[in-house]
Amino acid sequence: MASASSVSSAPASSAPSAPPFRQRPWVRWALPLLLLVVLVVAPLVLSEGVNETLARIGVFAVAVLGLNVVMGYTGQVSLGQIFFLGVGAYVTAYGVQNDWNIVGVFALACLIPAVAGLLVALAAARLGGLAIAMVTIALPIVGVPLAKRLSEFTGGSQGLSARFAETPEWTGLYDDQWQLYVVLVIGGLVFVLTRALVRGKYGRAFAIVRGNENVASSMGISPYRYKVLAFTIASLIGGVSGFLYMLVIQYTSPETMSFGHSIELLAAMVIGGAGSIVGSLLGGAYYVLIPELTNQVDPNLTSLLQGAILLVVLFLLPGGLASLPRALTRGRRRTRVGRGPAATPSTPSSTTGSATAEPAPTERQGHA
Amino acid sequence: MNKQFRSRTARGIAVASALALTLTACGRGDEGGGGGSRGGSASPGITDDSVTLGITTPLSGATAGPGTCTVAGVKAYFGAKNAEGGVEFGDGKTRTVEIEALDDAYDPQQAKANYDQLKDDVFAMTAGLGTPTNRAWREAAIADEVPQVLVMTGDPLFSDPEESPWQLGFVPIYQNEGEAMGELLASSTGEHKVAILSQNDDFGEGYVEGFKSAIEGSDNIEIVNELTYEATDTSVDAQITELASSGADVFFNAMSVTPLMISALQKAQQVNWTPSWFLPSNTSSPGAILEPGGAAAYPGIYSVAFSKTPAAPAFADNEDVQTYLAALKEHGDYPDPPAFPHCQWSWMVGATLEQAFAEMTEPTRENFMEALRSIEGFEAPLMLPDTSVSTGEDGQPAVSTVVVQKYNGKGYDTVETFE
Amino acid sequence: MAAELTLQDVSLQFGGIKVLQEVSFTVEPGQIFGLVGPNGAGKTSLFNCISGHYKPTAGSVRIDGTEVQGSRPATLAGHGLARTFQHPALQLGETVLENVLLGAHTRLPGGALEWAVRSPRTRRAEKELRAEALDLLERNGLGWAAHVPADELSHGLHKGVELCRALLMKPRLLLLDEPAAGLPHEEVEQLIATVRRLRSEDDITVVIVEHHMGLIAALTDRVVVLDHGAKLMEGTAAEAQSDPRVIEAYIGKDAA
Repeated sequence: MASASSVSSAPASSAPSAPPFRQRPWVRWALPLLLLVVLVVAPLVLSEGVNETLARIGVFAVAVLGLNVVMGYTGQVSLGQIFFLGVGAYVTAYGVQNDWNIVGVFALACLIPAVAGLLVALAAARLGGLAIAMVTIALPIVGVPLAKRLSEFTGGSQGLSARFAETPEWTGLYDDQWQLYVVLVIGGLVFVLTRALVRGKYGRAFAIVRGNENVASSMGISPYRYKVLAFTIASLIGGVSGFLYMLVIQYTSPETMSFGHSIELLAAMVIGGAGSIVGSLLGGAYYVLIPELTNQVDPNLTSLLQGAILLVVLFLLPGGLASLPRALTRGRRRTRVGRGPAATPSTPSSTTGSATAEPAPTERQGHA
Repeated sequence: MNKQFRSRTARGIAVASALALTLTACGRGDEGGGGGSRGGSASPGITDDSVTLGITTPLSGATAGPGTCTVAGVKAYFGAKNAEGGVEFGDGKTRTVEIEALDDAYDPQQAKANYDQLKDDVFAMTAGLGTPTNRAWREAAIADEVPQVLVMTGDPLFSDPEESPWQLGFVPIYQNEGEAMGELLASSTGEHKVAILSQNDDFGEGYVEGFKSAIEGSDNIEIVNELTYEATDTSVDAQITELASSGADVFFNAMSVTPLMISALQKAQQVNWTPSWFLPSNTSSPGAILEPGGAAAYPGIYSVAFSKTPAAPAFADNEDVQTYLAALKEHGDYPDPPAFPHCQWSWMVGATLEQAFAEMTEPTRENFMEALRSIEGFEAPLMLPDTSVSTGEDGQPAVSTVVVQKYNGKGYDTVETFE
Repeated sequence: MAAELTLQDVSLQFGGIKVLQEVSFTVEPGQIFGLVGPNGAGKTSLFNCISGHYKPTAGSVRIDGTEVQGSRPATLAGHGLARTFQHPALQLGETVLENVLLGAHTRLPGGALEWAVRSPRTRRAEKELRAEALDLLERNGLGWAAHVPADELSHGLHKGVELCRALLMKPRLLLLDEPAAGLPHEEVEQLIATVRRLRSEDDITVVIVEHHMGLIAALTDRVVVLDHGAKLMEGTAAEAQSDPRVIEAYIGKDAA
């Protein structure tokens, strides 16, 4: 007890080294600010085609982000993410067709998939490992015929069209610019919130549930509760991506949530980088750009080429595209740590009464 | 974790910013903005010596077979024309016709993306297969005033000029097929009891609607039982058994699922029910369905068609068929004998487009739509006698006439009466 | 406040195999208590019964008089129980500091939404516990390693990190599962010093499962010796080392 209370007065300045370059305040503010300026300006100057592609990337980046919460961060295999996108899209289309208030439609497009996800997770998370995967496989498989059957709400196999969020006159924007801005604001918000969530308390909890459930539970983290939480958040984010899907694509049909797309989302997540925010963006870009790219090369060989690209990326970068810079830094850091003890020789020896601080230099060098 | 994260994020932000800045440098061109150009100036995708057509259709995945055909036929048609110098337009110019086809894997989202990619480069979109994949960008095409014509879907929405001013379907809608069957039956002299089984969706409903409208008022036809099934059902044995007990001598089966159709044909024999069958055109293939189903046991298997089957012996020496097969091989990237009727349909799309081009007096999309909607009674190559392309009828696709055919143990023969 | 731990007739069966048979003992608040015995005596199984990872077939486990038998491990953390593992399970890709901060989980306020929007309360709490974790590392000689990924440290240092992680939970009862296993001699000395300091500074009850008799002798106030799942004797470490039954149980197994 004494230790803790005595500590709170001793701030983090006792850390041995000064904060690295990227943690300096002005750097931390300048980069996001630059990004923000670019994001505000870009839709105005880019061509219509590029804007439309970027908006689509935004839609699927959000879907991949949701998948990442449950799978990348929490380690629970989910093959049902596309189902929640589909539910979000249908809720949006139905609401728009019935002239509901668009804010209410958005809230429902988040809420209904989240509740559906919660119910599925309450049952599925009781089961171990692969059983969750099996339950989630069932979602898109059930979803497609369900969407066909509930034709009163879904328009059956003919699907639903909904054009909404008309560009307001006062903006003077083209439709593609307005849509991209809406995607950037909603998608950006989801990314910022999720980024904050997967760090700190919840990020660590998700990570240890993925890493070692025994340790998690001895830290007071119930693996079951956190799996359910992650799954529910993933479903909610899936619903948001469904709303954006309707905004950008303006049409949904049972094919939207076919099982194949769930697998493609999963591939996009792995390619982008599991458990990575930037990886989710890259995954969204992969999902959208690769079919376009392969179509340019040879429209008759798209699936073959996509498979080949998937294999090549996974062979070269098993951690996904997001791990490319990390892999490079890691190599550098290893050498730096190897030298570390020489730079701070006083640290271990100056500490008294410590458990394990013994000849740390040799230890570290042995492992460097 | 935090430090690593931060460094990764920082890099990500840097990369994204750089990317965005690079894209920014490309600038926004004037050609963007979509909307159709009214008046005399040429629409996108057409010059004095060439016109470009766009297709989005499934070239991979489960529907890749028919999808590939939708590209091959029209490509073969215009490939052959281009080799002769091009197509003569109504404005006196001769243009070559280029086809830009993209794969949408039967994914509506991808179809929309393909359309977005093509819309500023092509004069018109055509021939693509699939109801959801065509619906996905229908409204966008209307807003952009881009023709979406002669597409392969039985969805009536595309043939409603009020709802779909820039669209026109090519193949008969489901109602057309059901109606043709009903007419044949109503013209029969005998008394008939009919059992109906239909898929519980717009496909089944369309068939039944067309069939019923044709037999309405015919007192020699009585519907004795009517059941439905779901497209996802794995068995219709229960329905077949129940319908068999109705004592019907005619069975109208609006079913789009191949394995279910085979098992239905087998099940009816098992319960000693041998009516005459009416089948939709897409589940009546002699080799793939009727033979394995043991269809020879039934007094008659009827279906509908509007195109010649190249494989049928009757057409082996047909000049149209010969030209078509040679062009498909040479210009359509389709070396094998066509496995799906969509190849023939797509070839007819080419011929229909040529008709429209010949009527165009201005190189604009508006003028093209007018020209396209003025075709009357055009007998496209490969069409069966008594069928034709007529684009002026409200609520009807380009091809709304079909002929009823009867299975002869190997293929189909056109019939005039129900025996 | 250090906790009191009471076990009464704890039995555990896997199928037909009796792993534990009616084990009873009491650990007084503030004691350092040893759980010893030859391999396979059931020490770790008993440990898991206390920490909730196993559910005893019969008997009672009480912390400060509250029945906790059958509670899930995650609930027990709320009763002030923390533990280390025989094989430290760290998040290898994460830094040492992030690993230690995991121990702060139950002490951090706020739900998922609050953390997503980073309310001032969560920011403040995270900042405070980060400082506390750094200080904890510093005092255990690991301050230099705070920002190093865990997989770049040795096994011995992992044990230290894991201990810091458990301590950040501010436990009242700390279970150490073979803390000296795999450590070189000098590091064992450091460990002894640390555990002693824990008692004097932090007011914690400590239960240690250990093979290393030197460590047990040097640290513990009291020990229970297990053999074949049953309690053989209870007393001080010195009494245990001279007890003929204990010597017999250890013959050929360990240099008691």
